[in-house]
Amino acid sequence: MQWGQIYLSVLSDLKRMYAIEVENLVKKFGDFEAVKGISFKVKKGEIFAFLGPNGAGKTTTVHILTTLLKPTSGRATVAGYDVLKDAGEVRKRIGIVFQDPSVDRDLTAYENMLVHGGVYGLKGRELKEKIEELLRFVELWEFRNKLVKYFSGGMQRRLEIARSLLHNPEVLFLDEPTLGLDPQTRAHVWSYIQAMKEEHEMTVFLTTHYMEEAEKLADRVAIIDHGRIIADGTVEELKKLVGSDVVYLKVENNAECFEIDSGTCIVLPDGRIRIDVSDAARNIPKIFEAAEERGIKILEITYHRPTLNDVFLHLTGREIRDEGGNLMKEIIRTKMRR
Amino acid sequence: MRAFEIMVYRQIKRFLRAKSRVAGMIMTPLVWLTFFGIGWSGAFRETSIFGGVDYLTYLSPGIFAMAVFNQSFVSGISVIWDREFGFLKEVLVAPASRKETIAGRIFGDSVVATLQGAVILILTLFIAKINPQGIIPALGVGFVLAVAFSSFGVSIAAKMRSMEGFQMIMALVMLPLIFLSGAIYPIEFMPSWMKAIAFINPLTYAVEASRVFLTGVGGIFPLQQSLLILLTITAVMLYIAMLSFERSSME
Repeated sequence: MQWGQIYLSVLSDLKRMYAIEVENLVKKFGDFEAVKGISFKVKKGEIFAFLGPNGAGKTTTVHILTTLLKPTSGRATVAGYDVLKDAGEVRKRIGIVFQDPSVDRDLTAYENMLVHGGVYGLKGRELKEKIEELLRFVELWEFRNKLVKYFSGGMQRRLEIARSLLHNPEVLFLDEPTLGLDPQTRAHVWSYIQAMKEEHEMTVFLTTHYMEEAEKLADRVAIIDHGRIIADGTVEELKKLVGSDVVYLKVENNAECFEIDSGTCIVLPDGRIRIDVSDAARNIPKIFEAAEERGIKILEITYHRPTLNDVFLHLTGREIRDEGGNLMKEIIRTKMRR
Repeated sequence: MRAFEIMVYRQIKRFLRAKSRVAGMIMTPLVWLTFFGIGWSGAFRETSIFGGVDYLTYLSPGIFAMAVFNQSFVSGISVIWDREFGFLKEVLVAPASRKETIAGRIFGDSVVATLQGAVILILTLFIAKINPQGIIPALGVGFVLAVAFSSFGVSIAAKMRSMEGFQMIMALVMLPLIFLSGAIYPIEFMPSWMKAIAFINPLTYAVEASRVFLTGVGGIFPLQQSLLILLTITAVMLYIAMLSFERSSME
């Protein structure tokens, strides 16, 4: 009896360790399977990033976890509640910044906060204090009475972040939070996300197709491609999948693979050869020797510590930003949000 | 009730900001009244077909009801816009009752449509011989009418995926409802198939009731009956809108 109780309480503690638990989640739109049975867990208080190209199933997953879409099959809990059975309880505990802007352009920043607070049942002095605190946090307090339609993309994003924090969510979802922002504004938004995690001990679920974003922010990263998680772990763990260094060779003719130091070797679509080695500085001379033996003339040689892009390339043979028309799509999207 | 209240606030705030849109919505009915009304007024010498008043006066309540109808129906449909461009997603992930939230939006839109109706009626005083004392009760009718059609718009929007179908709705729903409401000409002289549609059109009852208040010209139905039918249809439409919004999803 007693042991049973202890077991149960340990079990519920374990359960509470995770802010998000997903098991075999599938989402089909007609014949198209957008999410193909993914499973993962996000610990409380960590920043977890979903990294993958456009169309990988990131936004669909976010929409399921935030109760906007119903899964075709599988199970997902957020903040300890099932997204299907206890959607109401989940909604109370989450905040979200959508990929596309969702601010009220005809209202001021302050009014946007007020309306959002109202929808979450907040009012009076408590709401006013919270609005001021958060608008100051994202450095928009002095623009509080300005109509949002005159805000820049970055300011709108900051307002959305402030708004999503208004009801003290346990889990915050950020769907491509810096899409279409210039590098400087992006760094700015990153610093808010980090501060948020530290000050509010919030769990953050982030989707992105920017490598740097995942590397910079995430405690753990899941790489998603075509609706499947193809790898997950800390950034360091993922980089170890590639080896410690990556060497790129540009050669004059017959690009063919050869192994050095038992690392993988791939001929890239652009004709370059990529070799993963444990220590580039010591292995480059060996590469020269091996190339000469095979009659390959090296024109250029570069190497760097692996990035998440190398990991993605290693796992899929494609670059994460390589999807056809990706850039164009992004430009159109950026224009639309103006 | 917080979500209801805040949605009313949002709709009114947004309305007060969009000055040029508001001006446009008020101008159109006034142009109708002035040119269409004064133009035909001269041609229709025989006032007995319009219950003994000149055509311009007869038309005034119709134009008022038409303006409130247009405004409320379009704002109901614009829920699609909200879904495309975000705000609705905000509401759908919030713990607030969706029924309550959308009811708030509908009431806010109806207040807005009624305010526009008030401006139109006050300006009508300068053009046509309407009874100033009838303005307040007519605005009451206008508000109920606005709730009915804002709800109708929301119900349609809950089924639509984009604004692309909007033109078709204009042609197939909005214009026929106006022509089949007695707003522009009396129902009595319509062929029976048109009459049949006019009788199931909620706009008809709003036109008739506000015409009684503003000009004293009675319609086919006694005033109390018109009001009762309008209220009943409005309640049903509001409920349908709340249900269909609750069920709407992102898919």
